[in-house]
Amino acid sequence: MDLSWSKAQIEYKKKVIEFAEQNLNNSISERDHVLEFSREDWNKCAKFGIQGLASPKKYGGHEDDIDILTATLAMEGLGYGCRDNGLPFSLNAQMWTVQLPIAQFGNAFQKEKYLKPLASGEWIGSHGLTEANAGSDIFNMETTATKVDGGYLLNGSKRLITLGPICDMVLVFAKTNPKLGKWGVSGFIVESNSKGFKRSANKSKMGLRTVPIGDLEFKDCFVPEENRLGKEGAGWSITIASLEYDRCNILASQLGAMEYQLEDTIKFVKGRKQFGQSIGGFQSISNRIADMKLRLETSRLLLYKVAWLKSQGKSAMMEAALLKLHLSESFISSSLDAIRCHGGSGYLTEFEVERNLRDAVGGVIYAGTSDIQRNIISQILGL
Amino acid sequence: MEQVILKYINEQLLFDNEMEEDLDSDTDLLGSGILDSLGMVQLIAFVEKEFMVKVPPEDMVIENFMNVDSVCAYLLSK
Ligand SMILES: Cc1cc2nc3c(=O)[nH]c(=O)nc-3n(C[C@H](O)[C@H](O)[C@H](O)COP(=O)(O)OP(=O)(O)OC[C@H]3O[C@@H](n4cnc5c(N)ncnc54)[C@H](O)[C@@H]3O)c2cc1C
Repeated sequence: MDLSWSKAQIEYKKKVIEFAEQNLNNSISERDHVLEFSREDWNKCAKFGIQGLASPKKYGGHEDDIDILTATLAMEGLGYGCRDNGLPFSLNAQMWTVQLPIAQFGNAFQKEKYLKPLASGEWIGSHGLTEANAGSDIFNMETTATKVDGGYLLNGSKRLITLGPICDMVLVFAKTNPKLGKWGVSGFIVESNSKGFKRSANKSKMGLRTVPIGDLEFKDCFVPEENRLGKEGAGWSITIASLEYDRCNILASQLGAMEYQLEDTIKFVKGRKQFGQSIGGFQSISNRIADMKLRLETSRLLLYKVAWLKSQGKSAMMEAALLKLHLSESFISSSLDAIRCHGGSGYLTEFEVERNLRDAVGGVIYAGTSDIQRNIISQILGL
Repeated sequence: MEQVILKYINEQLLFDNEMEEDLDSDTDLLGSGILDSLGMVQLIAFVEKEFMVKVPPEDMVIENFMNVDSVCAYLLSK
């Protein structure tokens, strides 16, 4: 494994941090309180080139092919520089579960029509997989796509869809042939102005509150054949193919947030005095800092390993599951430690310390819960 | 090729799976639930390594991976 970064990659990460610090840290606490998404920040990211990291050059990206290593480092930088965990989370959701599958499975027409506006920020895309009766057991989905003249009629509903309430298009999965089990699922691109398609209002949630989340409903929603992504029955491979990338990059931004959190906590415990000395001098505090550092660095190693494996075109099932489990759980533990180190200030919303804990909890649920990651790890180990 | 793949599935992926009938080269693997998603991904990783091929995501479809016969036909076509 080669974990060395090129000068250009490191420079780009620095630029992303600078961009985020200078442009994206406005009124986050207030927007978190009132569940407000910033389209302006989304567009700034597009203009800077963030969404373009998940598109080939021909369709609004930077490189001929998507460069996963550069993207991972850039998204880590975004997580470090941007105090709002919601924005990198939602960007990653679109980039790796909408843009990447279209780049991998789409035909020239679909890439031209959808990748360009997604990369430019003109459009927002969401990924519709989860349903009321299909969460961890995702291929138990009930949404159907029935073949009709010239296309398909979609019926069913999706829930917990990131960016769903404001999406311009959704990559949605439905059963085209229930008899074929997992081979009977197909992916479709549905534009939000399609007849029979409804987006719910934004739903309030514990963390990541600057990102809208909601339900999507399909009632005899006609989707032209040209909007089917890949072959009929390719839904399983589309989902599986984007999973490791998704885990890698959503977590990269969390790693960046953990690094900033550690630096911020160290600064605080050095400055805060009790009993005539910096609280950082008390071992109870410094031990917590040491634990935070260990979680950060072990997470980093796992993340870079997955990114490297994917850059080599290799499968990273075990590594991605270890990464998802370890990093997301670490972010919760470290966020709690950061609050403890800050004392009462850490508990007050205005100090912008507690928000990380609320944001971190989502990480052990989306893209496969921690229990599911443990199942994957143990199954590969032969249990 | 067929025997190598059948052996891998039987020994590495189905060790605890009480199947009513023996696994044949035409048994539907993923669709019938004999393999779960992870099992199928493991099988693909195995054939990539064992037969030194690259299986791009768009090839992970029923035509190529429904059963051991189709996996063999796919590998021979590569
Ligand atoms: C912030 C956020 C954003 C999301 N964004 C999207 C999105 O954009 N698109 C989308 O399609 N979905 C999205 N989701 C949905 C997410 O993928 C699901 O919530 C997740 O897969 C779990 O499904 P569930 O909520 O139905 O829980 P369930 O699957 O019902 O799980 C409930 C509990 O049972 C456990 N459990 C279930 N099965 C097993 C098992 N076999 N072994 C051990 N334990 C098990 C789980 O670990 C969990 O603790 C999002 C979720 C969150 C929180």
